Amino acid sequence: MTLNFNLPHETIYSEAKVSQVIVPGAAGEYGVTADHVPLVAQLKAGVLQIFHEDAGEPEKYFVAGGFSLTHANSVTDISCPEAVKLDDIDSSAVSSNFESAKNAYTSAEDGSAAQAEAQIDMEVNRAMGTAIGLNLN
Amino acid sequence: MALRFATQRAASRAIAKNMQVRGMATEKQIFNQIQATKNIRKITSSMKMVSAAKLKGDEGRLFKARPFNAWTTALCGEPKLCEDATYEELPQKCLLVPFSSERGLCGGVNSFISRNTRNIVSILASAGKECDIVVIGDKGRAQLGRTVGEKIIRSTTDIESPGTFDLAAGITTELVAAGAADYDAVVLIYNSYVNPAVYKQMYKVITPFSGEGEDEPMMEYEFEPDTKSEVMKDLYEMAITSQVFHSFMDAAAAEQSSRMSAMESASKNAGEMIDSLTIKYNRARQARITTELIEIISGAAALED
Repeated sequence: MTLNFNLPHETIYSEAKVSQVIVPGAAGEYGVTADHVPLVAQLKAGVLQIFHEDAGEPEKYFVAGGFSLTHANSVTDISCPEAVKLDDIDSSAVSSNFESAKNAYTSAEDGSAAQAEAQIDMEVNRAMGTAIGLNLN
Repeated sequence: MALRFATQRAASRAIAKNMQVRGMATEKQIFNQIQATKNIRKITSSMKMVSAAKLKGDEGRLFKARPFNAWTTALCGEPKLCEDATYEELPQKCLLVPFSSERGLCGGVNSFISRNTRNIVSILASAGKECDIVVIGDKGRAQLGRTVGEKIIRSTTDIESPGTFDLAAGITTELVAAGAADYDAVVLIYNSYVNPAVYKQMYKVITPFSGEGEDEPMMEYEFEPDTKSEVMKDLYEMAITSQVFHSFMDAAAAEQSSRMSAMESASKNAGEMIDSLTIKYNRARQARITTELIEIISGAAALED
């Protein structure tokens, strides 16, 4: 199947031939191979795994959100505002960001925009932590 | 009669005085003019070099933005040229979003956008359709405010260059707050970068992804999560954000290339002015020297006699 994986500031894969992609959809993770049913999925914060054709370890990226569109001709477009390779994530930064997001959440007014933003912050950092093996709560 | 002669004499004296002032500029004045023009040439030529360097960066960002935005073409269609466009396909109620620059001295980019926007407004009016305008960029706001000001519902200020995806997302949020979903189409009007010498005005028509029965878009796709309408709403916002981001990058590269060529022309013109002024200056200088020599020689000759 052909993969197009793009960020606004970087083209990660363009017309790349890969064997499988595991996508973190909002309703759960699912795999896409050639001739998959056409599907539009909203992504949640999670890990995107790309299996290349030489069948080695998958390449893992943490994505914060975005959309994945799989078309009828085995082309998948994945478009995310931000994504980062798992190897590049700094675990201490993730833990400290999670703690400050948690503090912001507890100190914010119930139902305010600041509380919603802090909640999103917490969930993304928690997902990042899970991706690199940290258990944050 | 004596009075008339007196007025005539006063008038001719005044004319003579004016002619003196308006006539041949003195050597010193020409020298000052040359210095001022040299300074301006320094400024314009350094602006040109700065623009050339920034253009590289803007081009790079544009080359990343194009593949990022590629998926929207299937849903919204290709961008179209403004030149010779009839705009027949625009629906009843449109939201026009023209992209202009914050700073000036950038050649014709903003005038072209204003002209095309005014053209679209008049074509829509004559077809009995309505439109509102959200202006991006200070220069466009000034130019459009003078002519179609009553249609401008929102405008942006102080956009820091280069734009980012966050900025595009912010603008989309504002568009949605201005009721983007109420319009039958959002029309982005922007300059598209072709190469450092050429840019063209283009427009994109983004219609909401809605419709029932036969008109239902993306029939052949499954949706995850299952609530197709919610996913479509978010997909629509993502599409507008992505298109706005791409138009931003395109317009920025076009603006920079236009500024580069405008400053190049300005430097060349300044150089030509300096050449012609230098010739004038040398002539004035030689005339002064000749006059001094004549005075000395005739004075010496008078003494001899």
